[in-house]
Order: sequence, then structure tokens, then C-alpha cells
Amino acid sequence: MSFNVLIVDDSNSMRAVIKKIVTISGFKMDSCLEAGNGRQAMELLADNWVDVIISDINMPEVSGLELLDQLSKNETLKEIPVIMITTEGSEQRMQEAFARGAKGFIKKPFLPEEIKKVLYNVIGVGDDGQYEEDSRNDDDLDF
Amino acid sequence: MVSMKKIQETMMTSIFNVFEKMFFVFLEPLDEDIQYDMVTSIKFTGVMKGEIKAYLSRGIVDIMAQNMLSIEPSEITDQTIEDCAKEAINMIAGSFLNKLEPSQVFDLSIPDFEKGTGQFVKDSEATLSLSFDSDEQFMGVTLNLEA
Repeated sequence: MSFNVLIVDDSNSMRAVIKKIVTISGFKMDSCLEAGNGRQAMELLADNWVDVIISDINMPEVSGLELLDQLSKNETLKEIPVIMITTEGSEQRMQEAFARGAKGFIKKPFLPEEIKKVLYNVIGVGDDGQYEEDSRNDDDLDF
Repeated sequence: MVSMKKIQETMMTSIFNVFEKMFFVFLEPLDEDIQYDMVTSIKFTGVMKGEIKAYLSRGIVDIMAQNMLSIEPSEITDQTIEDCAKEAINMIAGSFLNKLEPSQVFDLSIPDFEKGTGQFVKDSEATLSLSFDSDEQFMGVTLNLEA
């Protein structure tokens, strides 16, 4: 199983770095969409399904926290797990992000392993990059 | 009230952390004025209010861009330079404020960026003024706190 990822950050360079880290981590990525802020992200999500969103907080027009609010109001999109990746790393800010629907939180500056760990944990894949349901034995299925 | 010593130590730790972790650049503190080619800045509000500015030589930003993005010098564009500089000041500010006041929430502005050569005077009237070099490429940082 491969996943569609949306990276939201106003820095082209940071989006490139995150994309590269996700790719080399072995994560099975089908497509990677990019948006420069929350507004662009919502526009992309109107026509594209993604399995996980990795978003900055501090962005022009629509911030990462505002993006969380918009996603939570949408019956379909609210199911998409969102990982915040940001310089604003206070405990209070982190709790605020989780309260608004974030499923993971990474502080910048980060090590590549931190992105991999949080991403794999949030989406539910093992260290080998395999989706846990893919590697489950048929005998485990309960009909 | 946070002491000046703690502010300086925290700022230096934050700068080293950001440059080593994200850009693989190892800085050495410098006790002199430097030439810069661009300035990036960010404002913050919260229990403290102020502005942090970074004065960067083109050479140091070139190295930051190459290292962070794994690209060749010929692939560096003006946009890459601006992105890297802004990302650096964003991370320095976030890291500094989080280390200095871990229980507090600060709001950061969107970073500004301006090209322009000049002389960074270390002993300026800023609350804190630091300069660094890395293989003869330079960076200066100022912190201004509002009363």
C-alpha cells in the first residue's frame, strides 16, 4: 500500500527537505502534493485525497492551526491525520495543536529520524515501511 | 526577570543547534565586525516582545543551501537563498524563545528578508549582538527586546 502525502510550508526549501526525508525513510509514497499555506492546502484537498498532511504552523494567509480548524469542520477531510512540524515548540502550543486535531508534532530543527518516527507512528506503518494491515497474517482476520 | 547572561547563552545554544542540525554548518564565535550581504528578521510577541535579525554573508547561505538541500552551487537560486535565510531565523527564534521561556507561548511574525551589503557592527545598541564565522564565511545576530 502506498500513501499520498501533502506537505504544507511557506518555504520551498523546507518542503523539499521534508519530501526528501520522507522519501529516503523508505515510506511508501505514491504522490506528494505541496502547498505554501493553509489556503492552498484546502484548495488542493478539494480535488485530491491524501492519507497524511505534514504542516508548518507559522505561514501567511492561513496558518497551520487555522488549517486544522478548517479540516475539523469538514466531514471527509477531518479524518486525515495531520502532523505539525514547526519552530513553535512550547508545550502549550503543542497541546493547542493536539486539541485542534493534530495527531503528531515535530519541533524544528529536527533530525530525519524524528520525522520518520512520528510519521510512521501516526500513519501506522512498521519500521520496514510496511502498512501494519499489509503484513498481518490472514489467520488474524476475524470473519 | 531573565539575566543577560542566560539570554546570551540561550541564543548561542539555539544558533549552534539550528546551524549544526539543519545546515551542517559549524560556527565559531567571532569578536569583530563583519561584512554581510543580506538581512533576515523576525518579530515576536508574548511575555517578551522584540526582534531578532541575522546578517549573513552570501557565502554562508550558499553553504547552508547546499547542505540542507543536497544541491550543487550551480543549482542555488535567489529563492533558495531567501528561503534558507528565512528558515534559519525562524528556527533560531523558535528555539531561543522555547528554551528561554519553555512554559510560555510566543507569536512569531512571518520572517522578512532584504538583500544588501553592509558592515555588521558587533558593539551596536542592540540588547544582544553576536558574530560568528565558519570557514571565513560570516553571520551576525542581534536581539532587540522592547521594554
